[in-house]
Amino acid sequence: MPQIRLERMVKRYGAVEVLHGIDLEMQDNEFTVLVGPSGCGKSTTLRMIAGLEDVSSGEIYVDGKPVKHLEPKDRDLAMVFQDYALYPHMNVAQNISFALRLQKRPKSEIDAKVRDVAGMVGLTDFLGRKPGALSGGQRQRVAMARALAKDSGIFLFDEPLSNLDAKLRGQMRAELALMSQRVEKNMIYVTHDQIEAMTLADRIVVMHGGYIQQQGTPEELFKRPVNKFVAGFLGMPPMNFLDGRIEDKGGALFVTGDGFSLRLSPEKAAIARMAQNPDVILGIRPSDLSYAPEAAPETALTLKVMVSEYIGAQSVLMCQCGGQSVTVEMNSETPMALGETLQFEANAARIHLFDKTSEQAI
Amino acid sequence: MSAPTQKNSPAFFAVIVLLVIMSVGPVILMFVNSFKLDVDIISGTSGLIFMPTIQNYETALCDVLWYEPEPLDFCALKFGGAFKNSLIIALISTALTLVIGSMAAYALVRFRFMGRDTVSATTLMVRMVPPAVLLVPVFGLWNNEFCLDRDGLIGGAIRDMFGGRGDVCLAGTHTGIIVIYVAMNLPFVIWILQSFIVQVPRSLEEAARVDGAGPFQVFFKVVLPLIKPGLAAAAIFTFRIAWNEYLLASALSDRNTKTVPILIVNNMSEFNVEWGVIMATGMLLAIPPIIFTLFASRQIITGMTAGAVKG
Repeated sequence: MPQIRLERMVKRYGAVEVLHGIDLEMQDNEFTVLVGPSGCGKSTTLRMIAGLEDVSSGEIYVDGKPVKHLEPKDRDLAMVFQDYALYPHMNVAQNISFALRLQKRPKSEIDAKVRDVAGMVGLTDFLGRKPGALSGGQRQRVAMARALAKDSGIFLFDEPLSNLDAKLRGQMRAELALMSQRVEKNMIYVTHDQIEAMTLADRIVVMHGGYIQQQGTPEELFKRPVNKFVAGFLGMPPMNFLDGRIEDKGGALFVTGDGFSLRLSPEKAAIARMAQNPDVILGIRPSDLSYAPEAAPETALTLKVMVSEYIGAQSVLMCQCGGQSVTVEMNSETPMALGETLQFEANAARIHLFDKTSEQAI
Repeated sequence: MSAPTQKNSPAFFAVIVLLVIMSVGPVILMFVNSFKLDVDIISGTSGLIFMPTIQNYETALCDVLWYEPEPLDFCALKFGGAFKNSLIIALISTALTLVIGSMAAYALVRFRFMGRDTVSATTLMVRMVPPAVLLVPVFGLWNNEFCLDRDGLIGGAIRDMFGGRGDVCLAGTHTGIIVIYVAMNLPFVIWILQSFIVQVPRSLEEAARVDGAGPFQVFFKVVLPLIKPGLAAAAIFTFRIAWNEYLLASALSDRNTKTVPILIVNNMSEFNVEWGVIMATGMLLAIPPIIFTLFASRQIITGMTAGAVKG
């Protein structure tokens, strides 16, 4: 299976530069997810790998060979499009076999492959139908089958699930995860949905504003985000950010802000001492706050509960801490009265500090 | 106020009836008169009661009938030959127009090149030039400029094969008429097909490219099948114009390449207008376009791209 390497890849539309030198390596048999908000350049990156967009400067290597100048058909890749892009005048079997027929493979081989792939995605009963007579999920499967039939080493997905409804999306996500375990391909998947990214990826690449922000395993990115953007982008509900200052109170370091003063753990304090700028942003995930009426004030936030969103086993509380809003995720069994001011203990090991001006993690 | 009351009003029906009479009336008149003798046709009201006869059709079709029609001593009209000419010219010019037109339209829509918008606008402006204006220069060019020397290699070979005198010119050939018809119909066809090609989702072409199709395969296997309704509409339009065209064909054809509309006019002389034969030939002339339209309009189905892309 091929290995892909992007080297200082730049994309310009006229004078506007949308990708500012992307360096990225995608290993054998790896599921890489490019994730980021709309307009971050993730789809453009994918389309450049596919050969559908010209590379303004830089190079793309597949197995060490430059491929920038090659047509999409010569790059040995298959792609699933966001809007499926099925050929409406062909039935499902013809859609799946289009690439094989272009390669002029023998008919018996094509038939066998179509049956094989259709079985894999559960389309065997629909081979004679036109795409117009299929539901959204079935069309999605056809698009997937068409890419699978091609037997190429690189598999590109451009937000393939974004047009499905929530339930179907969950189901297809699970099927995709299953499929990615079974077929040994180098898969690159673009999405704006961080849940898809977290569940599917071997490696996540977070992009923003045409730059790669951070790459690593889902766990690495979730636990050790390098900057405020990555921290806020991954995780649902998103991380809370509170403006504060690092203050030394009798040897111990505290993060103090409007309505709170938290003592830093010794490890964090050691790192924080080296920070140039005492102005910081404190990041705490909603799940790292827990209701603790008897907690010591230097380990807890005092929050005024404004709104409680019941979502089943969990409740999400929208609270106020001084002038800043904080979300807390907690067990919905705990009784909680709105408008009350309560104490929530912060998990000291899991708080994040970001420099206020550079927004990089400290 | 509401739509149904408007539809049921007598005035609405009166307008409908008027429109139907206006459009179908002449056809019925032609049909009825084609079965009358000339005497009955020009005799006014007394001609309303008549004995139907197929004599006009016999005269019109005298060169294709297997028997010799009785009242006719000489078969002057070569309907069969003219019909064949009409078919050749109309079909080939339609086919050429569609092939060139669809490719040009695709290029204008999808390719980015300098002056694209100008080219697109100019094609339609060319259409605004009346054919009559073209007639004189084209006649001159076809007769005097676009010729092969009879002593030349190719011209000589053609002369040896087909006989005749003078240089081998475009005038009087099927090709000459086909070329001018293609030129005449192309702008409109390009213009019509552009709007169809714009609707083909770009991602379909991209998918085909990733699937391994070259530019021509993308065009013929993906784009062309999807603009079939547009092609059908353009084909009907082109065929109808090529089939009915009189002015250019009358100037550019010779005895052996004249088309049916010209044949009809040949029934008028300074001494006599053979109304019955004119009507009969007119009826026969109308048949192929009707068949062609019925066949082509079947391709005009909406929702060709349904299911291609989401929403």
